[in-house]
Amino acid sequence: MKREKQGTKVINTIWVTVCGCLFLMPLLWMLSSSVKSGPEVFADDFKWIPEIIRWDNYIKVWTNANAPFWRAMCNSLFVSVVSTLGQLLVSSMAGYALAKIQFKGKHAVFIAMMATMMIPGQATIIPKFILFRTIGLYDTLWSLILPGWFSITSIFLLRQFYMGLPNDLMESAKVDGADHFLIWYRVLMPLTKPVMVTVIVLSFINSWNEYLHALIFLPSNQLYTVSLAIQYWMNMTDEYNLMMTAAASAVIPVIILYLFTQKYFIASIATTGVKG
Amino acid sequence: MSERQKRENRAGWLFMLPAMVLFITLVIFPVIMSLFLSFTKWNFLSGVSGIKWVGLSNFVKLLTRDRKFSIALANTFIYAVTTAPVSIVLALIFAYMINDKVYLKKFNRMCFFIPYISSMVALSAVFRFLFRSDGPINSVLIHVFHVSVVPEWLTSTSLCKIPIICVMIYAGIGYSLIVYMAALQNVPGELYDAAAVDGAGNVRTFWKITIPLVSPTTFYLSIVRLIAAFKVFTAINVMGMADTAPSIVTQIYTNAFGAYEFGNASAEAWILVFIILVITGIQFLAQKKWVVY
Repeated sequence: MKREKQGTKVINTIWVTVCGCLFLMPLLWMLSSSVKSGPEVFADDFKWIPEIIRWDNYIKVWTNANAPFWRAMCNSLFVSVVSTLGQLLVSSMAGYALAKIQFKGKHAVFIAMMATMMIPGQATIIPKFILFRTIGLYDTLWSLILPGWFSITSIFLLRQFYMGLPNDLMESAKVDGADHFLIWYRVLMPLTKPVMVTVIVLSFINSWNEYLHALIFLPSNQLYTVSLAIQYWMNMTDEYNLMMTAAASAVIPVIILYLFTQKYFIASIATTGVKG
Repeated sequence: MSERQKRENRAGWLFMLPAMVLFITLVIFPVIMSLFLSFTKWNFLSGVSGIKWVGLSNFVKLLTRDRKFSIALANTFIYAVTTAPVSIVLALIFAYMINDKVYLKKFNRMCFFIPYISSMVALSAVFRFLFRSDGPINSVLIHVFHVSVVPEWLTSTSLCKIPIICVMIYAGIGYSLIVYMAALQNVPGELYDAAAVDGAGNVRTFWKITIPLVSPTTFYLSIVRLIAAFKVFTAINVMGMADTAPSIVTQIYTNAFGAYEFGNASAEAWILVFIILVITGIQFLAQKKWVVY
């Protein structure tokens, strides 16, 4: 009985792993093409690893005169880090207020926010464009950062977590004369670390991969994010190997980040799927 | 009002201040403004004075006479009804297997999850490349399956949706897989033991126990993935198919930032909002019928 079970498990492992590897193929193919010469990419005798590995493709893409990839990396990193930190602060404060402070108008605010949750960002991009043109944020990285600071999902996740923390913690701090700021900052916020990690992961991935807003708000080459830099290589060249070099340059950091922090990634994604 | 209550009010609104400023300027104001613009005819280049109130005529035109928009609408439905169910079903099958039926659990989970966190622009670039007429997919068709006339995936108006659908499914499975794996952890093991004692086979157990028990998750995922599919933009735009296989959002983008027809584009945006609200509404009504709590 036991042996039979193990046998099935081996067979299952084989077909699932074959499917898994098939799933990795497009990415492996991207990596392989990123170090090939132009003609090798479509050559009939296909090789996963070319005879000469052309690392200089990466140098070409990263130091190109018009849209150097290193600058796109810096821009994306800046946008992602500042968006994420801002979103964390704004959501943590709002989440605390909505869960632990009994202020007038709380329910109205909460309902208003939840009601707009279903309205996609794409639907309001035109007014945002007009707004950013008017206040001078158009064609600056802040046009990506500011919208990144507000996330109803993050506020909701943090509110749910704060609601679950016992009030006794606050009461004893209150007796000691602490106000809401101290209670939030010193007592409760440190306890919300698991959700904060979730917010960080989701926000970082979102801003790193943002495309539509970048396409509309950032016309200048100097402000290209990694998404726009890949597109630049797709529009500007027939050198498919270099396109794949650009694509690989955007994906590799995310994969490395995943390999080191998979526990957090998985927990974060799973959190969003568990209904509050 | 007591002194204590006043203090609570002040503290509450102070804590809400950053979120409220952003909420009003980046959500409430844009929502109202785009709703207003959807009832006007306005070319952005003509300046503020060019705004003309036209009532419902944008909507009437879009839904009755605009051929490009009706194609975009139809395409978007095709993308949604293909990508959401396929990615959810595949995710459930692999989540079920990876959860406790295979070795190399972490490796397999990674294979399916990595595309989800990878840049959609990069993935679309890769897929455009894979589906070229002289690309790897057609080489496999020629050399492995001995197909003599290979399809022109990217240029044919009927086939070009396939690369888009493929990349959307490819990028979307990871999310559903992880959510399902979390849900499966919560299925009590005794239920499976009981089924095994009763002599139920694997397939039967899957249908009779696993599927009903994860139905709340399936419900959640079907809303999330359908809405995500309705917002498709990146894959189409990066593959250069905004003209041949437009979606609602690519139409909004072309109209707004190609032609600067802000009035018309806003009306398109509100049709998208309306569709999303309807889907969510229907799902919530249907939930009672097929979700087992």
